[in-house]
Amino acid sequence: MIVSKAKERQDVINMLEGVSSVFLLGCSECASLCGTGSPEALAEMKESLESIGKKVTGMFVAKTGCQVLGTKVELKANKEEVDAADAILVMSCGAGTQSMVEVFKDKKVYPANDTAFLGNMTRFQHFDERCSMCGECIIDKTGGICPVTTCPKGILNGPCGGTNNGFCEVSPDIECAWAKIYARMERTGELEKMKQIIPPKDYSKKLSPKVFVIEKKKEEK
Amino acid sequence: MKKLKEALEAGEFTITAECGPPKGTDIAEMLEHAKHLLGKINAINVTDNQSAVVRIGSLPVCRLLSEMGHDPIFQLTCRDRNRLAIQSDLMGAHILGIKNVLCMTGDHVSAGDHKTAKPVYDLESVQLLQTVAALNGGHDLAGNEMKGATNLYQGAVVTPEANPLEPQMLKFEKKVKAGANFFQTQAIYDMDNFKRFMDRARKFNVKVLAGILLLKNAGMANFLNKFVPGITVPQGLIDRLKAAGKEGALDCGMDIAAEQVRIIKEQGIADGAHVMAIGLENKVPEILKRAGIA
Ligand code: SF4
Ligand code: SF4
Repeated sequence: MIVSKAKERQDVINMLEGVSSVFLLGCSECASLCGTGSPEALAEMKESLESIGKKVTGMFVAKTGCQVLGTKVELKANKEEVDAADAILVMSCGAGTQSMVEVFKDKKVYPANDTAFLGNMTRFQHFDERCSMCGECIIDKTGGICPVTTCPKGILNGPCGGTNNGFCEVSPDIECAWAKIYARMERTGELEKMKQIIPPKDYSKKLSPKVFVIEKKKEEK
Repeated sequence: MKKLKEALEAGEFTITAECGPPKGTDIAEMLEHAKHLLGKINAINVTDNQSAVVRIGSLPVCRLLSEMGHDPIFQLTCRDRNRLAIQSDLMGAHILGIKNVLCMTGDHVSAGDHKTAKPVYDLESVQLLQTVAALNGGHDLAGNEMKGATNLYQGAVVTPEANPLEPQMLKFEKKVKAGANFFQTQAIYDMDNFKRFMDRARKFNVKVLAGILLLKNAGMANFLNKFVPGITVPQGLIDRLKAAGKEGALDCGMDIAAEQVRIIKEQGIADGAHVMAIGLENKVPEILKRAGIA
């Protein structure tokens, strides 16, 4: 899921300088799981903003904030509350925030969260980054463990000299990706494969902004 | 004194040392140290923003040392340059008369003095070796033909004491495949371990220079053990440094380094030694003298 972290409250307050009324929008998907866009998070934000004299005209948790059309339709019911607000404060990821920018052309829209990474929830509300969406998955060659993401240097061909009893030189909190890859490929009997040199990545696959359109299958008659 | 490639190819016991460019433009001291080494070593490494700390670039310093009469080894990391910059620097090295390049991935920016920098790592050491091989063959990484190829002697690094060792050996093999002609190792202290490593390295057609890091005192040895992955200083050596006292520690460290070089040479364990003195390059000639070299 997309991991988001709530900005420091003071940063949000600074952002809202000159804004006296806001509409709060959350998201029921990733941001709810991260606790940054859930109904509870919105209620807390409302209370906090009201305590410093801001008016909260209304709030709503979108089903899927990054889904522009769906969210637009959902928000029809809140039209008056949105109209009454100086700005929309979006408590989702940066994609959800920009859905609002698209839907409400003349309204100020601000992000309440920092969007961090694509994460696996490995324990309750504990997220680990394992894929950085490089656009060309190579983990068939690395035992299913992604060195692009989980090695801080993104090394594709084996451990650097800093590998340290299974941990990474960059931080004692990070396991060395290549120690893990080796151990796993040993278990799965793929060490021979590990001897092949992996060529430099094709970063043209990762250039932003990206567009992806699913080709429509031919209509059945 | 033969240059690096000639010395290694002639099967001579080859000595390299290292020089770290300073932060800032005052290079008088660095050049002075390098002068001490003239005629005493086969080649000299010039580090590339070592430990991710910003300093003068390796390439211009290589050129200065080459003008002085040294055979410089251009250390090149992948941390600060993408594949375009890397290739243009490699061609630049060639036209500046630099003959050797040491290909490394490079310490992470988090270790250095610009922790908010964007680390590049467009390529890494194995791919960098392939890149040099491509340029030596007259084609760039995208397969475009070059007007004039490079002619660079390709080096790489390896950590014989890495834990776990197996993935490191696998990478060593990849580096050989990617075109490495010679290796300089991370600092080694335990000769038995090193011999075991060399037994495996000898299966490949590459030259290996043993990394000898001058121990300045027991504190430094303890620091290496605690904080530098892949370096293990045996307790026996730490005890010797301690016993030598504050005054005698450096001299003792020089003795230790000299003994190591001597053993490696006399027993033919490796093809040479890479002596790292970190700022005390002026001590290297004395170390070599004590080792019975020059
Ligand atoms: S290689 Fe890594 S970053 Fe790229 S798609 Fe696969 S898991 Fe994601
Ligand atoms: S120690 Fe392992 S994970 Fe860390 S940078 Fe080196 S190879 Fe990558």
